[in-house]
This record gives sequence, C-alpha cells and structure tokens, in this order.
Amino acid sequence: MSNDFYSRAATLAAEGLYSPADEHDACGVGLIAAIDGKPRREIVEKAIEGLRNVWHRGAVDADGKTGDGAGIHLQLPHAFFREHIEAIGKNPKGQVLAVGMIFLPKKNFTAQEHCRAIVETEILRMGHRIHGWRQVPVVSQVIGDIANESRPEIEQIIIAANTGTEDFETELYIIRRRIEKAVRARAINDFYICSLSSRSIIYKGLFKAEQLTEFYPDLNDPRFISNFAIFHQRFSTNTAPAWHLAQPFRMLAHNGEINTLKGNVNFMRSHEATFGSPVFHGLEEELVPVIPDNTSDTGALDAVMEILTRAGRALPLAKLILVPPAWSMMPELSQAHKDLYSCCNSISEPWDGPAAIAATDGQWVIAGMDRNGLRPMRTTITRDGLLICASESGMVPVEEADIVARGRLGPGDMVGVHLGEGKLYHDRELKDYLAAEQPYGDWVQKIVNLKDIVGDAAPEPVSAADGTTLRQRQKAAGYTMEELDAILLPMAATAKEAIGSMGDDTPLAVLSAQHRPFHHFFRQNFSQVTNPPIDSLRERRVMSLYTRFGNDGNFLALDKSHSKILLAESPVLLGYELQALTRHFDKRITYISTLFDVHTGEAGLREALQQLVTRAEEATRAGASFLVLSDRGVDAQHATIPMILAVSAVQSHLVRQKLRKKASIIVRTSECYDVHALAVLIGAGATVVHPALAEESIRAAHASGLLKDLSLTQALENYREAMSLGLLKIMAKMGISVVSSYRGGLNFEVIGLSRALVAEFFPGLPSRISGIGLAGIATRLQAQHEAAFDDTGSEALPVGGFYRARAARGEQHGWAGESIHLLQTAVTKGSYQLYRTFSASIAALPPIHLRDLLDFKFAATPVPLEEVEPITEIRKRFIAPAMSLGALSPEAHETLAIAMNRIGAQSNSGEGGEGAERYQPRDNGDNANSGIKQVASGRFGVTAQYLMSARELQIKVAQGAKPGEGGQLPAFKVTVEIARLRHSTPGVSLISPPPHHDIYSIEDLAQLIYDLKQINPQALVSVKLVAQAGIGTIAAGVAKALADKIVIAGHSGGTGASPWSSVKFAGAPWEMGLAEANQVLTLNRLRHRVTLQTDGGLKTGRDIVIAALLGAEEYALGTAALVAMGCLMVRQCHSNTCPVGITTQDEMLRKKFDGTVEKVINLMSFVAEEVREILASIGARSIDEVIGRSDLLRQVNRGSEDMDDLDLNTLLSQADPGPHPRHSTRGVRNEVPDTLDRQMLEDATGALERTEKIQLAYNVRNTMRAIGTRLSSAVVARFAPDALMEDHITLRLRGSAGQSLGAFLARGIRVELLGDANDYVGKGLSGGTIIIRPRPSSTLVPQEQTIIGNTVLYGATSGLLLASGQAGERFAVRNSGADAVIEGCGSNGCEYMTGGTVVVLGDTGYNFAAGMTGGMAFVYDAGGNFPLRLNEETAIAQRLASGYWMGVLKAMIERHYQETSSPMADQILASWEWQSTHFWQVCPKEMLARLAVPLSDAREQA
Amino acid sequence: MLRFVDTEQDYPAQRAAAERVRDFKEINALFGPEGDAEQAARCSQCGIPFCQIHCPLQNNIPDWLRLAAEGRLREAYEVSSATNNFPEICGRICPQDRLCEGNCVIENGFGSVTIGAVEKYITETAFAEGWVVAGQPKQETGRSIGIIGAGPAGLAAADMLRRKGHAVHIYDRYDRVGGLMIYGIPNFKLDKHVVQRREKLLRDAGVQFHLCAQVGDTITLEALRLGHDAVLIATGVYKARALEVANHNALPALDYLISSNKQGLGDDAPAISAEGKRVVVIGGGDTAMDCVRTAVRQGAASVTCLYRRDRANMPGSAHEVQNAEEEGVVFNWLSAPHAFHAAQVEVQRMRLTSTEMGGRQNAVAIPGDTYRIDADLVITALGFEPEDLPTLFNTPELVCTPHGTIAVDRNFQTALPGLFAAGDIVRGASLVVWAIKEGRDVAAAIHRYVMASKVKAA
Repeated sequence: MSNDFYSRAATLAAEGLYSPADEHDACGVGLIAAIDGKPRREIVEKAIEGLRNVWHRGAVDADGKTGDGAGIHLQLPHAFFREHIEAIGKNPKGQVLAVGMIFLPKKNFTAQEHCRAIVETEILRMGHRIHGWRQVPVVSQVIGDIANESRPEIEQIIIAANTGTEDFETELYIIRRRIEKAVRARAINDFYICSLSSRSIIYKGLFKAEQLTEFYPDLNDPRFISNFAIFHQRFSTNTAPAWHLAQPFRMLAHNGEINTLKGNVNFMRSHEATFGSPVFHGLEEELVPVIPDNTSDTGALDAVMEILTRAGRALPLAKLILVPPAWSMMPELSQAHKDLYSCCNSISEPWDGPAAIAATDGQWVIAGMDRNGLRPMRTTITRDGLLICASESGMVPVEEADIVARGRLGPGDMVGVHLGEGKLYHDRELKDYLAAEQPYGDWVQKIVNLKDIVGDAAPEPVSAADGTTLRQRQKAAGYTMEELDAILLPMAATAKEAIGSMGDDTPLAVLSAQHRPFHHFFRQNFSQVTNPPIDSLRERRVMSLYTRFGNDGNFLALDKSHSKILLAESPVLLGYELQALTRHFDKRITYISTLFDVHTGEAGLREALQQLVTRAEEATRAGASFLVLSDRGVDAQHATIPMILAVSAVQSHLVRQKLRKKASIIVRTSECYDVHALAVLIGAGATVVHPALAEESIRAAHASGLLKDLSLTQALENYREAMSLGLLKIMAKMGISVVSSYRGGLNFEVIGLSRALVAEFFPGLPSRISGIGLAGIATRLQAQHEAAFDDTGSEALPVGGFYRARAARGEQHGWAGESIHLLQTAVTKGSYQLYRTFSASIAALPPIHLRDLLDFKFAATPVPLEEVEPITEIRKRFIAPAMSLGALSPEAHETLAIAMNRIGAQSNSGEGGEGAERYQPRDNGDNANSGIKQVASGRFGVTAQYLMSARELQIKVAQGAKPGEGGQLPAFKVTVEIARLRHSTPGVSLISPPPHHDIYSIEDLAQLIYDLKQINPQALVSVKLVAQAGIGTIAAGVAKALADKIVIAGHSGGTGASPWSSVKFAGAPWEMGLAEANQVLTLNRLRHRVTLQTDGGLKTGRDIVIAALLGAEEYALGTAALVAMGCLMVRQCHSNTCPVGITTQDEMLRKKFDGTVEKVINLMSFVAEEVREILASIGARSIDEVIGRSDLLRQVNRGSEDMDDLDLNTLLSQADPGPHPRHSTRGVRNEVPDTLDRQMLEDATGALERTEKIQLAYNVRNTMRAIGTRLSSAVVARFAPDALMEDHITLRLRGSAGQSLGAFLARGIRVELLGDANDYVGKGLSGGTIIIRPRPSSTLVPQEQTIIGNTVLYGATSGLLLASGQAGERFAVRNSGADAVIEGCGSNGCEYMTGGTVVVLGDTGYNFAAGMTGGMAFVYDAGGNFPLRLNEETAIAQRLASGYWMGVLKAMIERHYQETSSPMADQILASWEWQSTHFWQVCPKEMLARLAVPLSDAREQA
Repeated sequence: MLRFVDTEQDYPAQRAAAERVRDFKEINALFGPEGDAEQAARCSQCGIPFCQIHCPLQNNIPDWLRLAAEGRLREAYEVSSATNNFPEICGRICPQDRLCEGNCVIENGFGSVTIGAVEKYITETAFAEGWVVAGQPKQETGRSIGIIGAGPAGLAAADMLRRKGHAVHIYDRYDRVGGLMIYGIPNFKLDKHVVQRREKLLRDAGVQFHLCAQVGDTITLEALRLGHDAVLIATGVYKARALEVANHNALPALDYLISSNKQGLGDDAPAISAEGKRVVVIGGGDTAMDCVRTAVRQGAASVTCLYRRDRANMPGSAHEVQNAEEEGVVFNWLSAPHAFHAAQVEVQRMRLTSTEMGGRQNAVAIPGDTYRIDADLVITALGFEPEDLPTLFNTPELVCTPHGTIAVDRNFQTALPGLFAAGDIVRGASLVVWAIKEGRDVAAAIHRYVMASKVKAA
C-alpha cells in the first residue's frame, strides 16, 4: 500500500466530502482493581488476557493486519524503571520518579529533536530533574503496514521530582500542558504524550488488542505490577489510522460516543473564563484551551475530567458532573442524591451520549455508565479482592468458585475502588460518600424557579387583534395558511405535531424560487450505527428540558456559587412569562433589537449584525445577565435579521469573547412557529425562545373560536408541550437527552448557505456546497418584506404549498399532476414514447434536487445503442425498496414482489414480516417472495424462517422519511392478517423503537451482521443508512463490520408516515451522501468489498445514471413504483384512506387497487431503456464502466444570481482507488469467522440427517458468539416448523457464553448453559429453549447475581428462556411471543413488548413496560416499589386477582424451578399462598378488553 | 376531512322536473350549513390537488373545502375569492364534472366532492353575511383603463384593475352589464340578480359603465385609446357558427336565448317563443342545453336534440344532459341534420371513427341512412365564432389570427400599443371560468404596462 495515505486523505478532505472530524469509535473496555490497593502482577496479566478476549469488538483495516488501536493503563512500576536508571549509572534511591510515555515524530529528525528539547526545557523549568530518555522496545513486525507507516518514535522520559514538591502530579500536568502548547506553536505533528505521571503509565498503539504484549515486550516483565489496570480495544468507523487516538487516555477509557461534543467544547471555552483554583498557582491561562483543536470526543472528555480532578474534584464527582445520571423524574432517589445531582448539573452541562467509562486519577479507579445505560459493563468481584469490570462477562476469566459477586452497571451507575483507603464503593455507597462531602442541600435552596417569579400570572385573552397588521407580520415572517392551519394550530389544539406521508419532493431551500424561512437551510443530524437515537416518548424519564440561566460560577470551584441560577422547565417561553422575567430582573435584562432597514441591502444587514454583536458584548460587559434579542416592531420599513443568524452571531461572538457564560440569550421572535425552527434556535445558542408571533396567532385563532372550547391557557400550554416534545424528539434522534448539552451545539448540516457566511457566523458547522450569503439573504428578505407590505389584493395569507402542492405561488414539487398522469398512461399502455414525454417533463422542471444542477459530459462519438448492455442486465440493479406490508396493502406489496422477481430484480419486504405462504412460487409461476428481507428496529415477524427465505438481509438503520426515529403502526391498520405476520394482536397499535436495541455502536452492528450471516449462510447482508454529513466514515465502519452492501437513502424519498418536521428537515440529499460514502470507501480501499445502493426520489434514467456516476451500483425506485401502480400522491397514507388501495388495509379501499405486475415491469423496463440511451450518449457500454465516474458529470447551473456560490465540485471529486476498480468486485459475500456451530454441525449429523434426538456438550467462552444460530439454520432448512420436539437437539454448555447466545434459536434446539452469558441472549428467539443457571461450583446466591446481559430476547417471536439470576437492561424488549422467567432485570424491561409472558422473580429497573402493547408480565415485588418503576403510559399493574392467571404464573415458576433449581423459585413456591400476594400482574391497557380471560375474577362475576 | 370513506356524495336538493319546467327559477337549492360542511369534509386533502390543476383559475379548492368543513366560511370566502372574482357564478355554471370534480381523486369509486355546490354555498353565505364588499382601492394611481365588453372577462379585469387604483371605464354595446352571463345563460342556471349583484359592487367600487356603446359606431376605438392609458378588448365571440346545410331556416341559438332572457329581465315578450312548437335543437354543447331547456319552459310541444356524436363524446356538461332529459328533452345521438323540409328535418345517422389517444372521436355519416323528424322551430347551437373586429371597429391595423380571433403576445398586447385583448375574442368560444382567468391575467399585464408608463395628461 502506498505510503501517502495521509496526503490522499488530506486531499479528499479539502476537495471532497470527507471530514476527519466525523470519525467515530466504540469498543471493548475494562478495568481491574485491587480492592486493597496493593499492586500485583496478576492484575497486569489478567488485563492482557482480557484484551485478548475482545478482539471481536475491534476491527481490522483493509490491510488485514492493522487494528484500530488498543492499550493499557497501569500503575507506574517503579522497580522496573529504577533498574533502568541504575543501568545508566545513576542512583534513584529516595527519589520520587515520574515517567512520560511519549510519541515523537519518527521520520522528521529535526522535529524530533525540537520535541525532545521542549520536553526537557519544560521539565527543568518547573524545577525537576531528568534521568534521561528510554527508547521503548517494540516489535514492529507484528503490526500492520498502515500502522507501521504511521508508527511514531516511542520513547519514555524519566523524571525525578524536585525534593520539596508538594504536588508532583499537578506540576507534571502543568508541564505536559506547556509542552503540548509549545509543540503546537511550532506546528509539529505526530507528537503526543500518552502519559506523564509519577503514578501511572499508558502503553497503547495502533494494533489489535491481542498484539499488545507482542508489540511492547516491556509488559511481559514480571516487575510490571499494578494495583489497577484499565484496558481498551477500539473499533473505529474509519480506517484513517492514528496512534494517538488509541485508548486509554490520561484519565479514562471510554466505550461509546459523546453526541454533544460541539456544544460541550463551545461551553468549555466559556467555562475557561471562570477558571480559578489555588492548586494551579495562577497558571490557569497556561492550561487553556483545555480542549485542543481536533481532539476526539473521548479525548475532549478526558481533558475536562483531568482538569476537574487536578483542581481537586474527586474522580467520581468529576464523572457525576460531566456524565450525570438522569434524576429529575426518578421518584426513588433520596433528597441528598437529588441535591448532589442538581448541583452537578449547575456546574456543567452534561457530556451526553452512550458511555461505559473506566477511569483513574491514581487515587480512585472507577467504572461508570451514562444516564441511559447504553453500553454494557459487567462486574465481577473475586474472593481475593479484585474488582473486574468489562464490556463482557468472561472477558477476564476467573474460576467460578473464586467469584463472590457478579453484577452490572445500570444507567448512571458507578462502582469504584479508593486505592489509598483500600476500599470498594458500590454505586449507592459512592454517591452517599459524595453527597456527604458538601452541604448540597443548602446550596440547592438558592435556586430560583421561573414559576416563582411568574407567580399567578397567566395568559390573558385578548380581543381579536388588528387583523391586518397581524397578517402583514405573519406574511413578513413567511407564514402561510398551510403553516398556520396544518402545522401551528394543530399543536395548540392537540399538543402534538402534525403527520405527513410520501416524503419531500420540494426543492432544497437554496434551490427554491419561493421565500423559504431561514431554518429551512438547516438539516437535522441524527444517530445511525455509531450511537443510538433515544425514544423521547417511551424513555421520557432520561430526557430533560430543564433550562438554567445565569450559572456563571467558577468551573473549577465546588461551592455555593453554582446555585445562583434561575431554572425553567422548558426552553419555550410564553409572553407573560417573559414579561414577568423582565420585571423581576429589571436592570439585569437588556433588550436588543434585531431590526434593520430592509432597503439598505447587504451593507445594512452586515452593519446591523455588527451592531448587534457589539451591543450584546457591551451589555454583557456592563453586567447584563439576560440579553433579549427581539424583533418587535417589524413594519414596512423594518425587517428583522433572520433570528437564527442573529442568535448564532451573538453566541459565537460571546463564546469568542469568553462572555457567553455571563449572559443568557433570550429570543423573542416572529420566525419560530414550528419545532424545527425552535431546535435550530436552541442549537445556535438561544437559552430560551419566546415564539411571539406564533403565540399571537394562537391568541387570534382562539379569539375567533377556532380552538373550540379550549381555554387560551390550555391552547398555549398545548403549543408549548408540542414544541417541547418536538424539540426532545429532535434531540433524541441524535441520542441527546439533555437540552443544556444540545444548546449551542449546532447539531445540523447546512445546505445552501455560503461557506463564508457559515464560517463567520456558524463556526464549526459543515456547509459543503456553499450557497447564499448575506447579499442573497438581504435580497430575499427585501422581496418577502415588500410582498408582505405592498398588498393591494386579497388580505388572505398565501395558501402555502410546501407540504402539499398548490398551483398558485406554491412551492415546486417533483411529482406533479401532469407527470403522474403521463407516467401512469405510459405504463398502462406500454408506451415508451409516452414514458419519454414523462421523463422530459421531469427534466424540464426548475431545479429541485442537486442533480438537477448537473449534466453529463456527452461523448463526441456515442456508442451505437445496440452495443450497450440489454435492459435485462440493467433491470437487475433495480430495487423496489422497503415498504412494509402494513404500510402497503397486500395487493400492492405482492404486485411489487412478483414484478421484481419476474425481471430478476428484487423487492424488499419492509419491516412488517412476510407470510410463509409467499416463500414458494405459486402454481402459476408467480413468485411473491421478496428477495430482500428487512430487519428493522421493530423486528416484526423476524423469525429464523423469515430470515432464511431471503437472498439478501437488510438491516434498516435509518429511513429517509424519519432518520433517527421509530414508528408507530396505528391500531386501525393492524388487521388480522397484519397481526398474524407481526405476531401481535389485531386492533392494537404497534411501536417500533428508534434504535435497534442490539445496535448501539459499530461493534454491535458487526455483531448483528455476524448473527444474520449465521442464520442464513448464503444471504448477503446490507445496511441501510440515510445521507448526512459524516456518512462516509460510517459507511467505512459498516464495510469493516463485514456488510456486503450499503444503502444510502436520501432525505427526500421515503413513503413512510412521520411528523412533518422529520419528513422535511432531517437527512441530506442522496447525491451528497452517496458521493461521500463512495469517496471515503475508496480512500480507505474498502469500496471494492461492498456494493453501494441508493434511493430517494429516483424517477428517470437520468437519475439512475447520475447515481451510477456518483458511485452507486444499485438503484431503488419507491415512489415511482407506487405511482406506476396508481398512486396519486394523496399523501394520506397514515390515514388508512388511500383512495387507490395502495397504502390501506381497509377492505373497501383495497378493492380500488388498480396496479398490475405489468405496469411495474413497464416502468422498470422504460427506465432501463432510457439508461441504455444515456450510457450510449456518454460513450459507455455498461453500467459497471461508469460507476464512480463522477468526472463524466459537470455542473451546469450555479443557482440564482444572488448567491455567493453553489459548488458541487466536492460531490464530483474522485478518490484514488489504488489497484482496485471503482465498483464492487466482491464475488459472493464477505464471510465472517466460524463459531462453535461449525463443530456442532459436524457433531449433530445424527439429529440432522437421521432425525435422531441427540445431546452435545461443550465448554464455551465469551469469544464464541451466536452459539446455536447456524445450527438453527440447518434445523429450519431440514424440518417443518413444528416437526420437532423441544429437545430434539440438546446443547449442554459450560462457561461464559459470548454475545447472541441462541440468536434466532429454532424450535427443536434446547440450550442448557451452566455459567453466564452476555448481551443479546435469545435475540429473535424462534421457538428454541434456553436454560441458564450458575455453575454447580458457584457459591453465589443466584437471584442476587447478573447472569445474562443487556437486550435479552430482543425481537423474540416464540420459545422459552429460563435464567436463574438477573438480566441486564431492556430485558425482553420487543418480545412478541417468547415466555421467560428471570430473577430480576435492569431498566426498560419488557419495553415495546407485544406478546409472550415474562415472569420476573425480583426487582426491575425503572421504566418497566414502556410502550408495551401486548403480552403479559408478572413481577415479584416484596418491597412494594414496583409501581414507581412501571411506565404507566401504556400498561397497568395490579395484584393478582384471577385464579386463571395465578395458575399460569405458578406453572411457569414451577417449570423454572424444575429446570434451574432456582432457590428463589423454591422459596416462592414453598409458601405460594403468601408469596403470590407479592406479585404484580402487568397488562397493556389496549389488551384489557381483548383478553380471553380477564385480570380479575371479581369483575367477571360482577 | 377525508370522510369520503364513510360519507356518501350528496348534492343540494334539486327541484323536481315537473315543478321546475313551469318557471325559469334556478333548479338547485343551496346547501344548508350542515350539508355543506359534511360534503366539504369528504375532501381527501390530496398532496397533489388534481381539482386545482384542472381548474382554469387554479382555485385553492382543498383549502376552502377544509375551511368550509370546519365552519370557517369567512376565511373560506377569502381564500376562494382570492383567486376568483365571481365564485358564485362559477359555482353555478362551471362544468365541474369536466374540470375540478371530474378530476377529483375520489371520483372513481366514491363520487367526487361536490365542489361547485360548496363554492356556491360559501359565496352566497358571504353575500348574506355582508362579507362581500366593493373592492375599493387604497389609493388612486391616476391611470385610466378602457374596457370594451362587459362580459365575464371584461368585468373580472375591471375588478382587478379597480382594486389597483386605476380609473376603469367599461363600454358595451348592449343595454345591460354581463354579456352572455346576462343575455346568454338562462335564469334557471344563473339567475340574473346574481350578475346584477356583481354589477352593483363594481359600480360601488367606482367602475364606470357606458352601455349601448358600439365601438366603430357610436364611439371610435381611436377615441378610446386617446382617452385611456390602456384599452382592453373583451368583446367575446357572438357570431353563430353556420350550419352547413343548404336552405335551412334554423335560428341561431343566441338570438333565441337573448330574446328569452330579455323577457326574464322584464323586457317585452320574446320575439321568438317555442310555445306549442315541436322544437329541434342542433348541437351538443352547453348552449344547446340552454336552448332545449328554455324551450321546455316556454311550453314547447316537444323538444329534440340532435347531436352527431354519442353521449360519451358530448362537449357539454353531463349534468346538463341529465337535467334536460329529466325535463322531457329527447336526445337523438349520432344524428346530424341532412336537409330541411317543411316542418321536418331530415336527419343523417352517423357513426364514430376510432381516434388517436386522448381526443374526441370523429363522427362520419353512414351513407344513405337518414330519417325525418317533425320540427316547427329549429335552433342551431353549433358554437360561436369571432366577429370581424378590424372591420367592425374600423381599425384595419388590428391583426387577427387565421381563426379570426385577435392576435396577442404573451402580455395580451395586440399589434397596437396600449391595446390589449383577452377572453373569448382571443382564445375562441370558451367557458366563463376561462374568461375570468383571462380577465385576471390581462389585468395584471395592463397594470404592469400602465405603471411603467407616465400618467397621461388628463
């Protein structure tokens, strides 16, 4: 491989769509600590062994050898270094030593020398002595080529402390920061200090975990002893290798991702202004910026945690300040803990995102978890005093008999060892310890609540406002009747956002000829693959909109200054509240107008912005704590600076001036009426938003009686509720739970604002194609303003047309009445000529998509058409994309499948399952079996049989209509047939979670791919992503996770129903996403290993060829296929009233379906024929020839006159493919390593071939994953679904089983595990039986131990799980039919469950049964706490009151006892009469009326 | 909304045929508030409003249907009147089954939303509530516009131009305002007071009417052009298309209808009455339907309509055919006049030819296959052609198209500066709704034109 990877990457970063800032990582992490604080060699050895056992959580680069990085953090082995010092002739006796582990530039010797000089200078400057440098022995042969290319010179510097130094560690910290600054000042790269400490040392690098000791033989030295070890294995989405990104960092190792990084970094700049700590002796200025540029998320968190602990915070408190638990809605917390958390929240906005952290400051060693508990962390305590925490149980093997406790960290939990005290602190003890340190309760008393200020004030009804001026202001702010009636007022009426369907076919804001509000230029970001979105509805308890004003205390101090704050419950402020606030704070509040003379154009706008930030700065310096940016007073002369621009200008200016923390930004605006506008304002930095004109509009509507008998207060509160929930949803889709961390984070991608404008006013935001600048904004503002105030005609608001097409002054839509009619006539009559007329009519539209600005570079001499590959070849690349049976009527769904099969292409089942009767061709030869079977977050109908019926399995990570969100199939669409396929109850609504609960990070995705490749040994696995900035690195990660195909969906397409704000404002065009994915995959030499597919509004041959040139090999036509079948874009799919019978389950409407297989085939054939013609015209004979040939495209339109630029060259940039072609050369599929099942299949011949009952026995380890899955595949292939007895094949396993034990386990297989298991046990369980109990040698009390990991029984459809012990988080999530007995579980148990019976013989975590709409649960609760833990939204809990149900419960517990000998079961059964009164029966509300046997006998008699 | 799945299509009550043939009053009642809201709520609120696409005025139909369904009639009227100067007229006489309702997405299988009836209800409510007010300009521009023709195109243009603050003068050769809306369309479809109500509003807004003013006769075009900053020709087309049968004694439809309408307006008894006669009307358009139904009301002994194609290929509204049939009119399809005899018409039987996609099928004679019917009065309603305006106006430099319509550019400007033309005289005989559309468009063009030029010395 060429040695210029970095220069290629840099080129692509400059010219293409690749951005190194987008890289993500996740991993395996662990720690071991001696509870007595005494060092042992055993700890080092166990840690090294632990690392060897997590190789499957890391990834390997394209060279097959370079790992993404691993490392270990240990106590400094003084003996080892003393010997070295003595060897060079010095005497270290009596000295306090420190060692720095340093990466130096390898090839640039001058730079290397400079670095050495800087290091030495700074050490000496602080008054310490140097014992010299030690070149660290390394064995470079073991690592990969890419790693070797970038390998630094690795040396250690050994330091002796100046006698008399009180705090050597603090001084070493200051030295390190000075060195880093000095090196940066010299612009030297490749220099990095892994550690510089008298207490500990870090060995890490760019290799696979198991190579650690091979590369660093030091670690094999028996003198390397330690009282703790923190170790880490990295899986990076991208392969741009970097030694310094390997973990652990100086304090912590982290498995997860900080979603709020940008906001945190920005606020950190403001916190820095407050720094003051006696320990730094006035040197604080030398320590800032705390977070150097280009630091990874974990690196940044590490840096902040480091300075907090150096300033004197105990490490566990620093964790609570930065990664706090959710607490405000947790009823069981003690007041002392709440006070502690409240103060922590006041010091810093949380660093939010999935996190399993292992950290040390030399005193404490802790493991901690984020507020959601989104990463696994299993704990073991041994008889000889070790605390072991690790991502997987069994990673660090321990003899069963030596274990005294097995546990796990739940959401927000910590466990720690104080090495000095030699004491172990469990979560509760640790927090008690911290809460007792300071009088937090007294401090909290000082916090002022907004409600107290507002008092009894309430919104007063106004008489009908002056209609004319209200309307003029509405018009000036861009309101239309549509926005008012379809978006704004429904929120006031129902407290919910409006829903829409069939995607977005309007132009990007920058391409539109209409006025578009400023927030339309911002696209919401969302989580996919590398971290999970959150369900803001079902998991509301972890979310927070609490907004704090005025916390400007010293970040480094821990005192009552942090409680001088004002607290508001929502960032949406109503008018009377703003008035109250203004009265209350009087002189501390400053109003700043955002108006300017609209006729002064660009110059006036620029000057207004300048004045705005100047006034904001002056006011803040003069002591204003609240800045109100107000657009009051818009008239014919004056318009407002777009408020988002104003806020971001003020925010970025105050951040630069380090003043942001001094003042809160309150926004009073006309422009914010929908949730997206609110999100952009908050994201730009607004503390609170008063949507003044929206409020006035609601008042006017209320006054005119439009809101029926709603009170005005209720209407306004409804609106605030809808806006707040919408904001939560937008945050949650990014995986952010807390608004204070979202604020100022600009978690958007800008499309169509000029780079200069964005760089100046929205620093850090990606704007990859540039667009309009201040000049264009001024021009457009003026036009809009004049239209609003120069009104001689009708007084009515413009009708709109953004959501639904309108002819007059409405927005352009890609699908118009005429084109639909043309296409339908063409496919009905089979007329290619008419199709060409259709295609020409589409091409003639004004620009809507980015591709409309592009054209082909036609060949001077076209290829003769007959030489171009035939349509039969081309059509095979077409896909009818995922539309579920449930969304579509059975008629439409089958028509698509049959048509695509007939032309050798594929349709996608969507996420709703598919009936087994469709798996075989019909008698007439029609094949209605969808070639692609989708695996989505709901896992509806995902059985072993379903998965085996596919040629391709698609993991839908996100969909264009609502990336980052889940869905809901309303009850009226759940017919008997739909319920059968989805394993649910007819007439009961179904909820899909936002994330796959088995994909919270990239290594989880790798695991699911692994599982799917086990259950179907032939099928390809594809992963569907939605375009967004940074998708390239995600795609690279997906490729490294061994996917075969990656689907890049655009924002525009999508047929699914979802809130309009998601349809319209989330995700990016596929042109950008596809180009980026293609470029980054090519850069990383991964492109040839995967196929790329794209979708999103593809209609014509032109679209297809452009997609090919931008890098796609396959193309999905969704909406076009629906239109061919008769869709008229009514966009009421979510209403079940589709008048053409396509998206409805209503019998009567289904009869209207007029689509045929032939029409679909005609469409595909026509498009293919047009593709042929275009190929010929650009001189190509096949699609393969042109894939990735973006050089055959040119930009033909740079947008309108008033733009700074509109530059698509970043899309057209080509990465160097090296020796590989630009398209996939993958022959079959990318194979995954075998697991135990390979052996089992050999051993099970008798059962499989001769249908004999057999029993097999094995010892297992955590590295053996998906045990039983491949075997299930063989069983399902061989036997009819119900042919086998439950125990036809019995597997007796012993040990700690790896992830996905028994995934998709089929009926006929019985797994008996003695030991414990990790995450995803019984995932997609398909009839199999899993029985888990402790090893006989164990002395533990089973019900007190964690025996299985997180997300057990996810998507199970049938079968049985009995586990004698506790389960982790999200037990039985989306279970739709399996039965289970366990003895306790973590949070979110039985979430989204729709079937099966779950018995929990012990405590549950909080939020039990959230979103549960089917099945039944029984919870044993002797303490009476369970009601506090139940989510009462969809389910009820009652004590047992039915003989029948008591019988069901008892039988299950008896079976549990029989199979596991559970002492808990024994105890309960022994005094059943009494014990049964301790059970709660949990039943979904929607099921109450549908139960065959009611919950209460009494009710039946009554 | 979206109630089409459970609410049947319904129209306002229609008077029984036996009753309605005895007078000339409108035959359709008005919706009540419930019926209106209920029917409006059947709308599917489509993502692509095919009703709007097929409305010449591109009315925002789904929006005012929704507002009507929600009982927000005042706003519904605002939205409806924002794109249409005379929605109550369109609601009555538009062939909705070929325009909005005919393209309603739910038409196939559920029956379309009864858009016209809702439109009429909204506007009648607006009149009753006093929401319809004269379009007073905010300020005068000092420009003056002359409009020739007080038909729908001229009136719509006048309304728009007056709102912009121009002085507007309308010249018409008839003695009443309204053009064919007053003299062509019978009362049972469009009661005269509906038109006169609009006339009053325009007068209240300050529009000046100059009636019985025949350009080229009582006044000259030149004088108009000198006196106004711009002049609009919106005369419509009045010349009856000739029947190509030798020696016929058939009466042109318009002569017949004007005579009847004058009587309805209180003028003298009609010069021509069908009373007691066996009437034959030739043609299949809306004018033919007006004639047959007028004849019924005048007490004809029998009324027969001859049309050369079949029912499916009728150019007129299917509703009108149905109304006529109910009222006793006999339709002879695939029948064309062949020869006229004393009190008889000899009819040629026709057959349809296959055709290119989309267009209407052609009719050709079946040679030798004729029959006779009795006829005391024969009326031809074969369509209208433009009069020879260059001659009539004594302005030979006015350029016409080969069809005789006036040639205009994209801005409705004729060959002469400041002289505009719009409506049927430009596009050929068409619907009132198209005339309104052209009137609005030409008004915008004239506004741009006059605002770009200096004010003429008064």
